[in-house]
Parts: sequence; C-alpha cells; structure tokens
Amino acid sequence: MLKDVFVTGVGSHLPGMPVASETMEDHIGRIHGKPSLLGRRALRWNGIETRHYALDSHGEPFDTNAGMSAKATEAALDNAGLSIRDLEFLATATTQGDYLVPGHATAVHGALGGRSMEIASFQSVCGSSLMAAKAAWLNVLAGQARVAAACAGEFSSRWFRPSFYEGTALVDAKGRARAEADFLRFTLSDGAGAIVMEDRPRTSALSLKVDFIDIVSLADRFDPCMWAGASVDNRTDLQKGWAFAGPVAAHAQGAIALLQDFELLKRVIRAWVGVYLEKVDVKRIVPDAVDWLLCHYSARSLREEIVSLLEKTDAMIPQQKWFSNLASVGNIGAASIWVMLDEFLKSGRLQRGQKVLCVVPESGRALVGFMLLEAV
Amino acid sequence: MHDVADVLRRLTVVFTGFEGRLEQTPLIRKLTRGRFEMDDYRAFLIGLRQQVKDGALWMSRAASNIDEAHLELRSKLMRHAVTEHRDFRLLEADYVATGGNLAAITGAEKNIGSEALSAWMFHEASKPNPFGLLGAMWIIEGLGSIKAQEWGRLAQQRLSLPDTAVRFLLYHGENDSQHIEEFREMLGLVLPDETTAKRIVRTAEVTARLYALQIEEIAA
Repeated sequence: MLKDVFVTGVGSHLPGMPVASETMEDHIGRIHGKPSLLGRRALRWNGIETRHYALDSHGEPFDTNAGMSAKATEAALDNAGLSIRDLEFLATATTQGDYLVPGHATAVHGALGGRSMEIASFQSVCGSSLMAAKAAWLNVLAGQARVAAACAGEFSSRWFRPSFYEGTALVDAKGRARAEADFLRFTLSDGAGAIVMEDRPRTSALSLKVDFIDIVSLADRFDPCMWAGASVDNRTDLQKGWAFAGPVAAHAQGAIALLQDFELLKRVIRAWVGVYLEKVDVKRIVPDAVDWLLCHYSARSLREEIVSLLEKTDAMIPQQKWFSNLASVGNIGAASIWVMLDEFLKSGRLQRGQKVLCVVPESGRALVGFMLLEAV
Repeated sequence: MHDVADVLRRLTVVFTGFEGRLEQTPLIRKLTRGRFEMDDYRAFLIGLRQQVKDGALWMSRAASNIDEAHLELRSKLMRHAVTEHRDFRLLEADYVATGGNLAAITGAEKNIGSEALSAWMFHEASKPNPFGLLGAMWIIEGLGSIKAQEWGRLAQQRLSLPDTAVRFLLYHGENDSQHIEEFREMLGLVLPDETTAKRIVRTAEVTARLYALQIEEIAA
C-alpha cells in the first residue's frame, strides 16, 4: 500500500560570509588578471546582490561539494528531530561532484558517516534536486524506507577559477573570455540544501505533504543550452566531447569549462512556459489554489511578454505569492530550491492548509520540474 | 474550457510544441548549430514565399465567408490581408539581394508541406464562418513575431548577409505583447463558445503540423 509522504526537515549550508558583488571577483579570480567586461551586466540581469563561495578571497578552497552537502543533510535531519542513524536512504543531486567517478552520493555518504544505507546519485543541473527528491519520495511512498533524505550541493566557483579559461579557445587574444563562458561566472555560486522525508508528519511543527513531483525533459528537441564537456562549436557531436579528445586537448579547446548559450536560452524559456501551461490546462496545477510559489528563477528575469502571456491565459501566480532569496544567497544551481524552502519555512509565512508550488527550470538541455507541497 | 483565456492557453501550448518540432527539422538544426549555408538560406526563402503569398489570399477568402453578425472580425481580416498581401515581394527582393536569380524564386514549385498547408488553408477558409482559422493565424503570426527575427539574426550572422537580404525576417519582429492583445480582441469576437473554441485549437494543431512539414521539406 502506498504511503503518504511528508517533508519533515529542511536544512541548508552556505559557506563563509556573504560576498558582495564588488568583491566577488577576488574569490573566483580574474582571467589574466583583468576585470570581466560582461560581469556588471550579468549582475544587473540576474539581480544577485550577495552570494557565498567555498573559496576564500585568495581563491583557496575551504570546503568540498560533498562536505557542504553532508552539512546541509545533517541540518535537515536535525531540523526533523532526527540524526544520521535514522537515515535509511540518501539521494544526492549536483551539477558536478568532487570526483568524476564514483557517484556523488558515495562522497556525501562518506562525509556523513554514521551507518550503512542505500544511496543514489543524481547528476544534471538545477533539476537534479527534484530528481533526487523524487527518488526519496518514491522510496518512502513504496515503504522501502521510513526516513529518506534528498540533498543538493554545488561548488561552482572552483570551475570559475582563471585556470579553467586561460590558455583555452574561450579567451581571445586580448585576454577576454567569450560570453558563453563569462556569464555563468557571475551567476552561479556555492552552497548546499537538503530535505528529509518520512512516512508520517511531525507532531510538534508543520510538515509538508508531498502531492506530486513531475519532471519534464525537452532534450528531444533542444541541443544543450548549459553544458560542460564539449566546446561551443562541437557541442552537438558527442564524439568530439572532452573524453574523446583527452583532457589536455579538451581543455585547450575550451571543452572543460561550464558554458551557456543565450540565444537558445530564450527559446528554452518559452518551452518551460509551454510545459507549465500544459500542467495548468490539465489542472495538474491550479494557479488559484497555490498559496506560495518558490521558483528557482526570478520573476524579474522573466520578460514582460511572458508575464503578460501568463496573465492573459489565467496562469499567472501573482508576484506577492512568490518567495525567493535568490538576491541574497545567490543562484546555487541544484541547491537553490532547498535553500529557498529552508528560508521560507523559517520566515513563518506558511500556514497550515496552504499549498506551496516549487518550480525548478533547468536550462541544461531544457528540463523543468514541479513539486507541490501542502502544509499539514 | 472555452473562454478567451482557456483558448489562449491551449494555443500557447500548441505553439511551444510547434517550436519544439521546428527545432528538430534539418534546416533549423543547421541554422542553430551554425552549419547553415547560403543555399540553405535561399531554399528557406523559397519555402517561406509560398505560404506568405497564399496567406493574404486565404485570409481574404475567409473574410468573404464571414457573416454580417461578425462584421468586425470580417473587417479585421480584410485589413490584415491588405497589410500583408505584398510581403512576398520583400522575400523575393531578399532573395535577389543574396545574389539569387529572381526567376528561380518566382518559378519555384511548392514543396510537399507547402502543398498540404495551402490546400488546408483554402479548404478551411471556404467554409461558412471559418473561425477556426484564428488558430492558424496564431501559429503563423506567432512565427512572424517570435521566430522570424531570431532566424533572421542567426542567418545574417552566420552568412554575413547585408541588411537588404534579411528584410523579410527582420521586419516581421513586431512587439509581442501588442500582437497578443490584438489577437485576444479577435478571439473575444467569437468566444466564449465551446464548438468554436475546439475548432480554433484543432485548426492551430493541424496548421502547426503542416507548417513544420513545409520546413521539414525544405532542402538546399
């Protein structure tokens, strides 16, 4: 018999002190020692004011992806009133783990210690958070585990160090990085978040019953939009990927750094909106019944036409129902949604009976996920 | 599920599905992957011309089949047809500006997708009160306001074309929100009505599929 599943704990870990926009380049470093041309514009567009890095102001790391993920998982267990010894299943999410092999969950489990348990590693971009959450949810739903955790961690800043770009085709003769590479350096930062799921709600505090988790990939129609492992020109030919060229040649081609295609992003955004409208159309999502929207994408980044389209199709969730901490904690990729949920729950805004819709779009290869929660 | 907002939502879902299908066609793949050649651009212009030329014609025919009770819609369609009925000349001029021969574009035959699309449009437009065609307009106008500029910029960038060779695609990029607002007004003239709502959405689906077929069939 399928069980009801409840989120009983949420935790996050943000490394170090908040870093202001004015000093952020000290942490990730300047390519060939020069300030970025694109940086200011990227910062204005993404609206991020402060973020966290697990690199100090000299670019030295003081944590790992696994370490931050483990700390967030411990915080979520603690928030649920549990400890590591209660955990039966752990699903991890990240864009890039500390190792290439084995899976990130092994590194997080290793950092957590505690006991043997079942694990699963999910690797994508932002959407990996919901893939891990879905695995945890289904395990509890099916009675395979009573206590499951889904964590998500990112240590993007390592990949933004100048050595990832210098001496590669991504930097021109004047020492300037191409836009596909530079933009993300000013967009993504570090941290981790986690949730704990159980087959019963907490008695002492609000829990969140999971109504559904839906993930839709549109990789059948789009080329990669945000990627690493292939150069800009060779991104659609998998046989020209980094592993075929070998690491040294791949680095020189600019096939190792994280890259983003902005032209494609515009089309991907419309496709996300299409998926959302389809959910509204079949009443899987009823905008009027949503009390809070946590979207890993800022409303201010949506173009006016899209907001207007959502309004005209009775699908817009009014902006006063949006909760976001993107501006203060930064865009932490997969970890963002749990870090946002954590701050939202601690803000005391949520009332029993209210519905919270989490939306996680992933530009990677055009994916979008939805999770509907109900406060009980 | 039959008022203006419901239909607009359904139509948007159809349009995004259509965009996804276009994205997978060989021609658009070449364009977005930077492997687009001058011959591809010329073949693209030839392919587009058929529908652009027929567009004002089926719209006029549709207008002539709209009854007196919907005079406002009839007027709008007629005005629309007048505005657009010479646009295919611009396409021809673009073609010539790429170094192409005018006779090659004016004398080209419709591809299989264009044949199907054109036959479908005139068939629908010949029915009394062919309101379903609003769905077709949503798809075709959407291409004009959303895709044309995007394609025009990519083609221009890739082939280093002069502005005179991409006027059709670039000139079509009008203001999106204004386009939606005008369209919403037109929908308001025939909705709410269950049967009409269904027909509009269905016509959009068929038009989108046939339009994509037209693009699929373009080969340099």
